[in-house]
Amino acid sequence: MAVLEAREIVKDFGGMRALDHVTITVNKGDFFGFFGPNGAGKTTLIRILTGQLAPNSGSVNVLGVDVVKNPLKVKELIGIVPEVESPPTYLTAYEYLYFVGKVRNLDKLEDRIERWLTFFDLEEKKGTICKDMSKGMRQKLMLASAFIHEPALLFLDEPFINLDPIYQRILRDFLEDYISKGGTVFMASHILEIAERLCNRLSIVNLGKVVAHGSMEELLKGGDNLERLFLRSVGIETRGE
Amino acid sequence: MLKEEFRTHSSYSGGTRFLTFPVFVFILSLLSGLTLDKMTEAVPLSQLGTFAHLSSFLYGLSVGAFGLMGREYLDRRYGRNNYLVAMPYLLPLSFRTTFLGIYFRDAVFYVLLMLLPATLGLLAAAPFVGFSLVSIGLLFGSVLLAFMFGLSLSFLASVVFIRNMKVFIGFTAVIAALFVGQGVFGLPELEVLIPSLGFQSNVRPFGDDASSALLYAGASVALTVAFAVAAYFLVEVRISISSQSYSEILPKYHSKMTWLSGLNRTLVAKEFVDLRRSGTVAKMFFSFVLPLLFLSFTVWFVNYGLAIPVGFNAVFYAAMVGFVAVLMYSWLNNIDLAEYYSLLPVTVPQLIKVRMMVFLMLTSGVSVFFVVAIALLNGETQLLWLALIVMVVTSVYIVTMTAYLTGLKTNSFLFDTGILMRFSVMSFLPDVCLTILSFSLTANWVFAVFGIALVLGVLSVTTLILYRGIPAKWGSASF
Repeated sequence: MAVLEAREIVKDFGGMRALDHVTITVNKGDFFGFFGPNGAGKTTLIRILTGQLAPNSGSVNVLGVDVVKNPLKVKELIGIVPEVESPPTYLTAYEYLYFVGKVRNLDKLEDRIERWLTFFDLEEKKGTICKDMSKGMRQKLMLASAFIHEPALLFLDEPFINLDPIYQRILRDFLEDYISKGGTVFMASHILEIAERLCNRLSIVNLGKVVAHGSMEELLKGGDNLERLFLRSVGIETRGE
Repeated sequence: MLKEEFRTHSSYSGGTRFLTFPVFVFILSLLSGLTLDKMTEAVPLSQLGTFAHLSSFLYGLSVGAFGLMGREYLDRRYGRNNYLVAMPYLLPLSFRTTFLGIYFRDAVFYVLLMLLPATLGLLAAAPFVGFSLVSIGLLFGSVLLAFMFGLSLSFLASVVFIRNMKVFIGFTAVIAALFVGQGVFGLPELEVLIPSLGFQSNVRPFGDDASSALLYAGASVALTVAFAVAAYFLVEVRISISSQSYSEILPKYHSKMTWLSGLNRTLVAKEFVDLRRSGTVAKMFFSFVLPLLFLSFTVWFVNYGLAIPVGFNAVFYAAMVGFVAVLMYSWLNNIDLAEYYSLLPVTVPQLIKVRMMVFLMLTSGVSVFFVVAIALLNGETQLLWLALIVMVVTSVYIVTMTAYLTGLKTNSFLFDTGILMRFSVMSFLPDVCLTILSFSLTANWVFAVFGIALVLGVLSVTTLILYRGIPAKWGSASF
């Protein structure tokens, strides 16, 4: 069952075409990887899929909701971790999760906050305001704020960035567990080693166009790996080819 | 840095529209020049000169607080927008150097934006009305000195504010005392407080005393340089991350706001946490109370200093309070970046309306206090009921109109000529009507009250229309 269907998405910024008739389908239970060089249009597409940006044309349906017509409803249902971690400057970790919980009208909020502060080892720093946090702490807080309402679909833009190897591992395990329980992940990342281990389906985008799309198994048949597939798809020849 | 400033301003309205702003200033100045003869029939040229200097000085004061803005940009450096002021984190530059860079940037940028087009407007009018080109040149030099004086003073004050709040309070108290002393006792003379005014009054067409003019010009330059140098050496940036732990006040604020519900309650509570922790309350207080005091001083000066009998009363002040309060809404939009809202089920119109609510919660008390105080001081308690109604209607109207026109980016959108023109007309017209009607209260009570009621009725209907229009206008905007 498709939880995300984006058809013929076009997005222009001034005279520049950032996305050129992009079509993507993500099914329930997928760990979907979205890859591309810098400036290929990954973040733009995520912003369109999550209702943060309107496309010039095309349709997006997420969890049965038309994103272009009802972006607010989509944001209620999904969790988003953006590329740049920018939580509110003057709130503490505890307060930000409290704020997100209240905006989302969550029950058992204290328990949820406690759980995620503990999970990301933020308990001792829960009184630190965001502007005084390290980048890693901010990233953990953004992850916690995206997970706190247990969404059915997660959009993660470079979720492993700024995390130490311990928390990269913890996050990886959590996401695998989340998928096994019926969740769906749409992830953009440049860390191809981790992505190859996690993702079952993927798209590669270059210059605003999808240049590869399908299951990991199908695209990597013949002993290929994700790095070689990626480089080949975006037109870079690797040694020995 | 100039390019950065230009791009920051033009990112909202577009470069071309932003560039029409100096054209707008040029045209306004040209028209003023062409109609100067008529204007001087009502107000003497020397007083127009004084007004130009005071305005330029205040303009410099208002743009020069980059000690504060610089620090805020540094605090926000991990957001989507990073500013060159943060370059010392990465490059072998000192913060003193970048702050000095901002000083020169603002001097050049705002002179090009306002003072130069205004002067060019007068130059363009010169062939038609016979202005002396030398006099226009001297006026430009003099007004420029006033602007730079204000800019340096503001730079120093903002740097002192960051280093030591007590010294800052003492510093501003001394300056305020000097201006109050000038207003009440006529001492020190205004030329001493703003030396470029002394320069202007000693050169043509106001005077012809070259040595005094040079003395004042020298004093103005010396003080401007001294303030800027002192600020340069006092610049302090705390690179280390604070380890301060804060208590959880958001849940407390949230639980106290029982008169609100749902999303509004959460967003308003969060705005108050921001206000408290960012120290913006103090800045907002100053930016609201100081203009009110300045307004009172100006009115007093016109009434008693210049001995021009104008019937300023509590109703006039009440209207002015409403219009001055718009600065507070602008502050609310400048506390923090709002990008994280785009991840949550919150829309731009919802946040705009919440900030309007916060605006009213913050300003109502001070506004009522001011209007009541003015009514008591002037012995006009019989006008208090009318003054309070005028204050409430104009305050709600002006914030709704500003919010409708500028959304969450008030400072930047007001540099868009189209928006500025609409803003000017929509604030100036009712302001003029209410001012004239308030003057008529003593002469023709019934006519004045009827007229004021009519203006307030129009403002109320307009407020309602604009308020209802906010979702349509800002519904698809991003944070």
